[in-house]
Amino acid sequence: MSLSAYVPIVGLFALAGAFGLFSVAAAPFIGPRRFNRAKLDAYECGIEPTPQPIGGGRFPVKFYLTAMLFIVFDIEIIFLYPWAVSFNMLGVFGFVEMVIFIITVFIAYTYVWRRGGLDWD
Amino acid sequence: MSAVQTGEIITFFILAPLAVIGALGMVLARNAVHSALWLILTMLSLGVFYIVQAGPFIGMVQIIVYTGAIMMLFLFVLMLVGRDASDSVIETLRGQKVVGTLLGVGLAGLMATGIYQATRDYTVVGLEAANKDGNVQGLAKLIFTNYVFAFEVTSALLITAAVGAMILAHQEKSGVKAVGQVAKMRERFLPGNYPGPKPGPGVFATSNSVATPAKLPDGNPSQRSISPILPTRELTAAEKADKPTLTGGA
Amino acid sequence: MMPTLADFGKDVWWIVLIKVLAVFVFLVVMTLFTIWYERRVVARMQVRPGPNRNGPFGLLQSLADGLKLAFKEDIMPLKADKVVFFIAPVISTICAFTAFAIMPFGPIVSLFGQKTPLQLTDIPVAVLLVLACSGLGIYGIVLSGWASGSTYPLLGGLRSSAQMISYEVAMGLSIVAVFMMSGTMSTSEIVKAQAESSQTTVPDVLGGWSFTTPNWYVVLLLPSFIIYAISAVGETNRAPFDLPEAESELVGGFHTEYSSLKFALFFLAEYINMVTVSGLAVTLFFGGWRFPGFGPEHAINQGWLPVLWFTIKLLIALFIFVWLRGTLPRLRYDQFMRFGWKVLIPANLVWIVVLAGIKTSQNTDNLLWAIIPVALLLLGALFWPSKKKAVEVPMEKQVAKRPAGSYPVPPIDLEVPVSPRARRITAEREVV
Repeated sequence: MSLSAYVPIVGLFALAGAFGLFSVAAAPFIGPRRFNRAKLDAYECGIEPTPQPIGGGRFPVKFYLTAMLFIVFDIEIIFLYPWAVSFNMLGVFGFVEMVIFIITVFIAYTYVWRRGGLDWD
Repeated sequence: MSAVQTGEIITFFILAPLAVIGALGMVLARNAVHSALWLILTMLSLGVFYIVQAGPFIGMVQIIVYTGAIMMLFLFVLMLVGRDASDSVIETLRGQKVVGTLLGVGLAGLMATGIYQATRDYTVVGLEAANKDGNVQGLAKLIFTNYVFAFEVTSALLITAAVGAMILAHQEKSGVKAVGQVAKMRERFLPGNYPGPKPGPGVFATSNSVATPAKLPDGNPSQRSISPILPTRELTAAEKADKPTLTGGA
Repeated sequence: MMPTLADFGKDVWWIVLIKVLAVFVFLVVMTLFTIWYERRVVARMQVRPGPNRNGPFGLLQSLADGLKLAFKEDIMPLKADKVVFFIAPVISTICAFTAFAIMPFGPIVSLFGQKTPLQLTDIPVAVLLVLACSGLGIYGIVLSGWASGSTYPLLGGLRSSAQMISYEVAMGLSIVAVFMMSGTMSTSEIVKAQAESSQTTVPDVLGGWSFTTPNWYVVLLLPSFIIYAISAVGETNRAPFDLPEAESELVGGFHTEYSSLKFALFFLAEYINMVTVSGLAVTLFFGGWRFPGFGPEHAINQGWLPVLWFTIKLLIALFIFVWLRGTLPRLRYDQFMRFGWKVLIPANLVWIVVLAGIKTSQNTDNLLWAIIPVALLLLGALFWPSKKKAVEVPMEKQVAKRPAGSYPVPPIDLEVPVSPRARRITAEREVV
C-alpha cells in the first residue's frame, strides 16, 4: 500500500482549508461596516450583557467525568476494531479474550452507573 | 523497503517543523487554551507521521484518541478552571526559568544524539512481512496473541481511569435524594402547606365581586381569597340573593 | 468492475485533481440542495408551500440565502478571542469536507481514457477517517463557543461537545459489527462484501416460497443500524437532538455570535456532516452504490449509473432526517444523555458479544459458543437491580388515607354544575 492513496485526502483537506480560510478572511471586506457599540457586545437577547466573573465563569465538573468516560470507551472501541476486522482469523481464543475485556470494562461502567455518574440533573 | 519514499520525505519536512512549532507554541503561549491548541497541532502531525510510516491504524488511533478524546478532556479541564486561566509569570524559585530551559535543551540534545547514534547504521527490515495481510490484521494478530496479557491489563487500566474520575469529579448528592414529580406533588398537598397560588374566583364562584370569597373544591369558602384590607360588612338581602346567571335569568 | 483496496492510489495527478474538485462541488451542491429539500419537505409536512419563489420550485433559494449571508456585516465581538474565533469555523469546514474523501460513489469507470474507481480514494482504515474527522470537528464547535466570550455560545458549545462525544461512542460501537461481517475497514470492500444476494426460503407452513434479499448489513445487522441511525442524529446535532441550538434556551448555541460568511461556514459544515453520516449509512448498511437485486456485473451496476443510485439512497436517508425534524419534539438534555449512556452503549456492547458468539459457533460448528453470550445475558438480567412495582391503590382509599388537615379535594362523585354562560346560550337558542 503506497502513500499515493492518501494524496487525494490531502488534496480535499487543502481545498476545504483554502475555501474556509478564504471565506473567513473575505467576510469583513465583502460585507458592510457600520459601527455600533451595542453590536460588539455579547448577545443576550437585547439586555445589557451580564458582567462575566473574573476567569470567565466556571463549568460543572460533570463535563470532566463525561470526557473521561469518553476516553475509556474510545480506547475500548479502538481495541474492538482490529479484533472485529480479523475476527474470523482469531477464532475462539479471540472471542473469549474479547468477552473478558468487555466484561472488565463493563465493571467500571456499572460502577459509574450505580454511583450515579451517568445521571444529569 | 528500507528506501525512504520521496512522498515520505516531503511530508516529513513539511510536518516536522509544524510539530516543533506546535510544541514550542504550547510552551510559550500565555493563554492555556491556546497552549492546548498548539498541542493539538503537534499531536495531529504525529498522527500523520505514523500514517506515513506505513502504520495507518496507529495513525488514525493517534488522531482519534489523543487529538480527539484526550485533548478534548484537556480543553474541558481548562474551561472548568476558567476562561482566561493564564500562566503566572512570577518565578517561585529564582533562576528557575533559565535552569529549566538549559536542562530541557540538554535533555533534547542527549536524546537526539542517542537516537541518532542508535539508528544510524540500521537497515529497516520486516515491514513487508508485518503488513502482509494488511496493517490492521497484522496488528490484531500481535495484540490478540503475543500481547494478550498486556491487552487484558489495559482493561484494568481503564477501570482505574473510570474509578479515579468518579472519585475526583463526582459529587455524591449528600443525603438528599432527587425528588421525583410524584413525591413533589404529594409533599405539596400535605397539611400545613398551601398548595398553590391564592384562589381567585374560580369555576365554583357565583359572583366576580372581590368581596366574594372563592370556593374551595369541596365547596367551602376560602378566606384567603379575600383581601384583608376589604372592610367586613354584612351583605344586604339583594346582594345575598343568587345572581340571575345562576337562577337561569328568572 | 467492483473496485477493491488495491485499485486506489494509482490515479494520474489530473484525475486526482478532477476527483477532488468533483467531491468538493458535490458536497457544496448537496448542501444547497439539502437545505432547499429540507425546507420543502418540512413545509409539506406542516401543510404550507415552503420556499417557491427563487428559480423553479424555489430551487435557488439556498443559493440566494448563501449570497445574502456573504453581504452581511461580519461582527467580531469585543470580548472574543480573535484568533480562535477566526479559525473555529475553518476547523469545522475542513473536517466536514475531509470526511467525505472515502465515500464510494460507483464502480471503476473510464474517465478521459483512464480507468479509475468512482471514489476519491480508499485506505485500509477508511471508516476511521470519518470518525477522526467527526472527532476533530467537535473542536470547531467547542472553540467557537469558547472564543465568543459570551454566555450562550459557551453553554451551547459545551453542551454540544458533551453530546457529540457521548454519541460518538455509540456510533463507534455500532460499526464494529459491520467490520466483523466484512472483515475490513475500507469502504470499497465493505460495499463489495454486501454485493451478494442470499436466497431465503419461507418454511413450508407459510407456503414454502423463496425470495432473494440483498446481503445488506441493514438486514443482517439491524440492531447495529438502529443504533447507528440514532447516534448519527445525535452526532449531527439534528432534531430531536438539536439541544445545542435549543432556540428557546440558548438562542443559537455555539454560533450565536457568528455572522456573515463565518456563520455560513458553520451552516455548511452542519449540512455536510448530515450528508456524510447519511452517505456512511448507505455505504455501511445499504449496499453502497449498488442497485439491489442485480449482480455486480449487470449493466445497471456498471458505468456512471451507480452515482444516481447512491444519490437516491442518500436522499432517502436525508428525507428521514427531515421527517424526524418534522415529527419529534426536542428531548430534555438529561433524558438525552441518559439515553446515550445508559441505553445505546450497553445495548451495543451486548449485541456485539451476542453476534460474536453466533459467528464463533458458525465458524467452529459448535453451538456452545452461541450459548455463552446468552447465558451471560441471562446472568446479567438475574443480577440486574429490579424496580419494585408499586401496588395500585383505588382512588377512594388514596383519598381516605390523606392526613387530616390536607388541602380539600372535591368529592369523587362531584357533579360539576353547568356553567351559567352555557345555560344562557341554550336559553337564547330556544328563544330563536
